[in-house]
Amino acid sequence: MIILYFFILSVILGVLVLVLPSKKMNIMAGIFYVIAHISLSFFAHHHMDLTDSVYFKFDHISVLLNALLSLLIIPTFYHSKLYLQRHIRDVKRESQYIAAMIMLFTAISGVYFSEYLVILWVCIEMTTLLVGFLVLHDRYQTPIEASWKYLFISSVGIAIAFMGILFLAAQISDREGANLSVSYLMSMASTMNPVFLKTAFILMLAGYSIKLNIFPLFAATIDAKTVAPFPVNAIISTCLVNAGFIGVYRIYSIISMSEVIFWAQKVFLITGLISLIIAAVQLFRVKRFKRMFAFSSMEHMALILIALSVGKVGYYAAILHLVFHTLVKSGLFYQFGQIRALYNSGWFKDTGAYIKLNPTGALAFILGLLSITAIPPSGMFVSEFLIFKALFSSGYVFVGIISLILLTVIIYIFFKNGLHLLYAEKPENYGQQKALSNKYESISQLVLFGLVIYLGYNPPAFFTDFIQLAISGIN
Amino acid sequence: MIYLFIVLYGLTLVYFGLSERVSRFVYLLSAQGLILFALVFESLHETQLIELILILIETIVVKAILIPWFLNRLRKRNHLKRLHESFLPVFYNVIIIVFIWVLSFVLGNNLNFEELHTPFFSAALASVTCGIYFIIIHKNVFSHLTGYLIIENGVFLLSLSVGSKFPHFVSLAVLLDVLMGVLVLGLFLNKVRDTFQDISVQSLSKLKD
Amino acid sequence: MNILILVLILLLSLLFPGVIGIVKAKIVGRMGPVLLQPFYDIIRLFKKGSVYSNTTSFVFQWAPIISFGCILVAAMFIPLNNYQGIFSFDNDLVVFAYLLAAGKFLMILAALDTGSGFEGMGANREAFYSLLVEPAFFILMGSVALITDHTSFYDLFNALHAQPNISYMIAIIASYLLIQITMVENSRLPVDDPKTHLELTMVHEVMVLDYSGFDLALIQLSNGIKFILYGGLIANFIIPVRFGFWSSILCFIAIQLVFAVIVGFLESFKARNKLQKNPQWIITLIAVALMIFIAVLIFSEKII
Repeated sequence: MIILYFFILSVILGVLVLVLPSKKMNIMAGIFYVIAHISLSFFAHHHMDLTDSVYFKFDHISVLLNALLSLLIIPTFYHSKLYLQRHIRDVKRESQYIAAMIMLFTAISGVYFSEYLVILWVCIEMTTLLVGFLVLHDRYQTPIEASWKYLFISSVGIAIAFMGILFLAAQISDREGANLSVSYLMSMASTMNPVFLKTAFILMLAGYSIKLNIFPLFAATIDAKTVAPFPVNAIISTCLVNAGFIGVYRIYSIISMSEVIFWAQKVFLITGLISLIIAAVQLFRVKRFKRMFAFSSMEHMALILIALSVGKVGYYAAILHLVFHTLVKSGLFYQFGQIRALYNSGWFKDTGAYIKLNPTGALAFILGLLSITAIPPSGMFVSEFLIFKALFSSGYVFVGIISLILLTVIIYIFFKNGLHLLYAEKPENYGQQKALSNKYESISQLVLFGLVIYLGYNPPAFFTDFIQLAISGIN
Repeated sequence: MIYLFIVLYGLTLVYFGLSERVSRFVYLLSAQGLILFALVFESLHETQLIELILILIETIVVKAILIPWFLNRLRKRNHLKRLHESFLPVFYNVIIIVFIWVLSFVLGNNLNFEELHTPFFSAALASVTCGIYFIIIHKNVFSHLTGYLIIENGVFLLSLSVGSKFPHFVSLAVLLDVLMGVLVLGLFLNKVRDTFQDISVQSLSKLKD
Repeated sequence: MNILILVLILLLSLLFPGVIGIVKAKIVGRMGPVLLQPFYDIIRLFKKGSVYSNTTSFVFQWAPIISFGCILVAAMFIPLNNYQGIFSFDNDLVVFAYLLAAGKFLMILAALDTGSGFEGMGANREAFYSLLVEPAFFILMGSVALITDHTSFYDLFNALHAQPNISYMIAIIASYLLIQITMVENSRLPVDDPKTHLELTMVHEVMVLDYSGFDLALIQLSNGIKFILYGGLIANFIIPVRFGFWSSILCFIAIQLVFAVIVGFLESFKARNKLQKNPQWIITLIAVALMIFIAVLIFSEKII
């Protein structure tokens, strides 16, 4: 019942913040929620592999992803404070923002822990609503356009995912003791009609692809990430993408108990390759930081899918890559908040000479750039190395070569724009507005990138064991 | 009698393709709600009474009355255009919708699952495909909302065809989806209308590179 | 008995247009013509002479007579209750449809024969709309034939009424579709306005623009009989076999009158379509027929 209490607590907190808008209330609610969420993580770790009121279960992958979310809540709230100081000065809108963020974190935790497919689906719907609200931070045209597209396409996608759940339910509806929980479906998977399993898999992959930021429904979420405020972006590019991943992971673990798994791996491979190609092609035309980071999320998710498609050897690399991507991408977005505040714009052409204007931030940005493009000493180098090792050793040589070429293209684009930011001439319209700067702002990113380097090269034993246990759920 | 209602449902899909006035869409959605009510009444016999009443209330009140009323109010308040704009002439629209309907029945026939009640399954598949086609064809955001509701009706039909083991779960989930979709999207339409002067999709493409 | 059906059809065809006229007038609040006004018009036209243009040939003079003859022969196929029409053999529904089509074809040729631009335009439109509506009729009748495994009108309707549960469903939808098909075939609203005086907007009226006297009378008679033919088909769908002879005749007359009233209502409350929209409106009828066909296929377990 703990998760239910947690839900009720966060709803109460959200309602309190909405009803009594004041700065003190926001700060207190934020701190209280952080404490509650971290204690939820510890509780979940303590009660590993137990179910909680039948609808939720604390298994390894969900505890891992929830721990990442808990880790990221603290810098998100800190940077949200800075964002609200700089851009939104109306207390009522601030409290709406804080309430929506609290509910979003809760919904994402709900997705991680849910054991029933329908509860997972409901929680993902809630995240859609909340993200649609959070993206809409101003009333001019681009946020409204992005928010509308996101809400609409997400609704269509989720309806399609629901059709997938219905196909699974069709199979088990006449057996006794039937329910739509992941463990029951896993035990029944070998007796189900493969056509139904395949249909359900494809429908759920397509439906959750809007959260997971891959082909086919990537366009709306890329638009949403282009417009969202940077703390929100740090969450929806990392933890919400992980939530989409959990949705796909659950159906994949159900499928892995039957012989449809080989076909499912092929589907992952094709989807991953297409998403990678689209990301690489679209990145040429991108002229904004946030959009570039959004397509980079798409690229990394594509790599994770390709890693999953290889089979057992690739699962460890996929989860490791997921963890590192979470940490690095959020760090990049926090850094972008500083960039945005300094230049008052998120376009490439308005930036330049960052290394002179903000050396600490530039250092963090360089570290982030190296990390996201998987250049050593980044931990992502380790995970990508493992992915490609799995690819080549399983005989997918052609796929590996294409992916490497596309990754090279993406590295080129990242460096072209990143070096422009760092070393180009100071832009002419710089300095017209004095931005509030904060010398402690870069600390969070340096910590996150340092953590990625540490976990990549000298991972503690419990971390590697944790991931091994997380992937043991799949057959 | 089930076949009569499935044919009537197909007729509403064809009339969606035929009608050009946006207000007709709302009446057709209401008609679809009534047909779904009749279908639920005919087909769900094994469930308990309370769940049956819940589903009946949901179809007739929400799908047939509330949502069309809400959409109508939205249309009037925002002074939306009377005619829809589409990329294909209406003549070909009707042909394609009939083609989709026939194709889904042929597919249902070839698959011939025992677990699904196949006329419902084919009608559901046709409805989802027609809804997606509707969204692709039309330029107006209100028509996109209508297409979304057609998809929702298709998902409801699919849940009817799955059988009656989980009726409450299924219908609550669909109701949540529909409410979320229409309330949020409908409330949103006001905002879109305020900022953009018209709600054609071509004005919604500033975010492309 | 078979002759009685034919006589009934001919008598009702004189009343039918009058009923439509009265209904339309009463709806808009006018007094309206006398019930037998179309009959008086036809008698008046029979007494007049005809004027033929120099550009026309024998086709123009023969077409109305042959067309009327085709329609009369087609009227001999309609059964009622337990009694066949005068002709009844296998696949006679195809012959029925093609007799009507032959009559229409000759009228189109005659219209082209006049060499006038208006008639050519009307003939073009008439041919196109008949092209679009013919599959609807065939698919509908074909579905009923599929369910009952017979192809003659008499056997078809008898076998249909032997299965009561499906006959209700088919009766409702077939009536709906046949009413729409009638409106198209007889060139009524919303496809074509019989009261319009602008030739550019006419479809059927402009085809017969140059006829006068005897020929015009035959054409108006044929129009009336065509209504009754389709009405007879609808009546056959509705009247169950177990009615006695006189009650089925009474039902037949009642259904024709109700049909006339419905046509009057539909004409009063609809505006005529824009001409570009006519094809899409008519194609919808094929769509409806296809839906019925698929439902019949499911029901007879030929698919699913």
